[in-house]
Amino acid sequence: MQIGISAIEYVLPPDALSLEELARDKLLCSSPEQLRRLGFDRCYVSNLPAEALASQAATMLLERVAVDREDVDLLIYAGALASSHQVSEKQFLGSFNYPAAKMQFELGLLHAGAIGISQSGCLGFTNAVKVAIDFLRANQSRNRVLCVGADVLPAGANREILYNVISDGACALLVERDSPRNKILAHGSVTKGYYWDSISSKNEIMAAYFPTAKNVIADVLKQAGCSRDQVELVIPHNVSLLSWEILLDLIGLEKEQLFYQNIRRKGHVIAGDNWINLKDAVDEKRLRPGDRFLSFNFGFGANWAATLMEH
Amino acid sequence: MPDIVFITGASGMMGQHLLQAICACDHVARVLVLTHHSPLPVDHPKIRQLKGDITLRGLGLEPACSEDIARRATHIIHGAAQTSFSSEPSTARGVNVGGTENLFRLAEGCRRLKTICYLSTVYVAGKQTGTIDENHRENTLGFVNAYEQSKYEAEQLVRSSRLPVSIVRLSTILGDSRDGAPPKLGGIHHALRFFFHSLAPFVPGTEESLVDLIAADYAAAAVVALTFDEFARGRTWHVCGAEDSLPLGRLLDLSLELFSRNRPAWRQRAIARPAIVRLQTFERFAETVEELGQATLGNVVRVIKHFAPQMAYPKIFSDCETRRVLESVNLRRPAIADFYPKVIAYLVSHNWQPALARSNGHE
Repeated sequence: MQIGISAIEYVLPPDALSLEELARDKLLCSSPEQLRRLGFDRCYVSNLPAEALASQAATMLLERVAVDREDVDLLIYAGALASSHQVSEKQFLGSFNYPAAKMQFELGLLHAGAIGISQSGCLGFTNAVKVAIDFLRANQSRNRVLCVGADVLPAGANREILYNVISDGACALLVERDSPRNKILAHGSVTKGYYWDSISSKNEIMAAYFPTAKNVIADVLKQAGCSRDQVELVIPHNVSLLSWEILLDLIGLEKEQLFYQNIRRKGHVIAGDNWINLKDAVDEKRLRPGDRFLSFNFGFGANWAATLMEH
Repeated sequence: MPDIVFITGASGMMGQHLLQAICACDHVARVLVLTHHSPLPVDHPKIRQLKGDITLRGLGLEPACSEDIARRATHIIHGAAQTSFSSEPSTARGVNVGGTENLFRLAEGCRRLKTICYLSTVYVAGKQTGTIDENHRENTLGFVNAYEQSKYEAEQLVRSSRLPVSIVRLSTILGDSRDGAPPKLGGIHHALRFFFHSLAPFVPGTEESLVDLIAADYAAAAVVALTFDEFARGRTWHVCGAEDSLPLGRLLDLSLELFSRNRPAWRQRAIARPAIVRLQTFERFAETVEELGQATLGNVVRVIKHFAPQMAYPKIFSDCETRRVLESVNLRRPAIADFYPKVIAYLVSHNWQPALARSNGHE
């Protein structure tokens, strides 16, 4: 048995807005036609704060798995936005009202430490998983980490970032020492601080995205001694389908190997769409026991990460 | 009787070196230079500028100038061309084929004419792959851009002439082999600049595709030798890097290393080497960028897409005969491994300003 991801749950707001509705409300930069050609169709907009969605996702997860809540050793809360790391509070002291601690209490995770991960954009949740893996490797007596990610864009915020349509949402997953599925075979990431300014460096980021992604993925496959022929499925982050087609070409994989259906259905859920997609791919029987699959995502900062797993 | 040289295209990539080399020849008494819009890169007592336009009948010259050429010119070097890789076929053909036709019509009236050297490009080979030797004539596989096609068509026109003509096919001119200075910036320099500034995600081709580059001073000296002492009527020469050319992958790695060496702070940017991709991947990216109306990357794509696809048609240009002849007059091809680092050092230290812009006060 190896460290792996034993369970995943997620929450999306009940309301989805079509591209036309978003355009009508002036929440897009590109036209609906352009974004549809990039693979998007709608996005989810929440009127609840991020921590509320996070709490819902974590509760669903803990209710589903047969784990004693007091056996959770660590809670890692990830969010790309600063607002995701605060329980709504107007006073200055309220800045210290952290959702991780609140959730640890409310969920009854009596023995779990609680920390947050931020400043890595859409890679925050993947970084949480990475920290969980490292935590379990470093602490042989610990067995279980609950990772939760949530982000909700401010009301009225533009829903398009670098030609991607952004959804609010939350995801929770359990990283366990002896996971029966989704075993972590290799993980690799790179941060390139040169691109820290996502506004003035957006052209450079778009240009750097592909060659760096290719290198990170190649490193992970090499680390695991896995050839690309052994990869059954690619679990994406839900950025434009066209950019995925280019990246797939670059790494020598076919579009059929990409679980891309959620790009249209869910948009780019920055709180952790790779892991949302993993759950849906499993539910849709796209993975069989023993299948190797690759997850890749990018986050402002700029950060690239790939994880190779075995279902 | 001293030689009088009539030259077109002297404001081009190789013009400065070529004019200097011709003016340095003792047997040349006068250099008549057809100028259009661009200023001449060299000032020399032997040079006389003649205002004209290659696309016009009679090259748009004053009748007295035409008569002067007809009466005195002993050698013609025809280098004027539309060299923009992105030009429309009609534009490229108008200048490169129509202009050559106009020049040859004028040349037919030159009473003392000994030689015409027509400057072409090794890329008339277009989408052909494999070894391209100096006798390569037919192209059945098409071209990467209108420039290549128009030069190919112009070559056919030149070959059908009864005048004493030879063709010199030049490769991509990178810079001076001694100080690295590029006279002007061409597609290759812009591509390297995009790479330096983290704006070049892809290059089409394979790791092994050869990038054929030559030094400007060597190219100019070769043209002079093949126009005067070693002229051979009806011959086609290849002035290129041939087997000395670097594979694309190695060239990109070397560029990364040289950027860091010449600007140590650059290394900190951790800019990835552009990915070498299939032509289809590159084209898909180009289409996506254009579809999105992305201005900066759109500009990068527009510059690269007209010449970089050559890398997707791997080839090696042979220069066996040319090299043998040039070495017989002690002209040796500088090694790319020696002058490429100098060019990169020059570009980085001069902030990507070419030598001519600097000398013209355009910095």
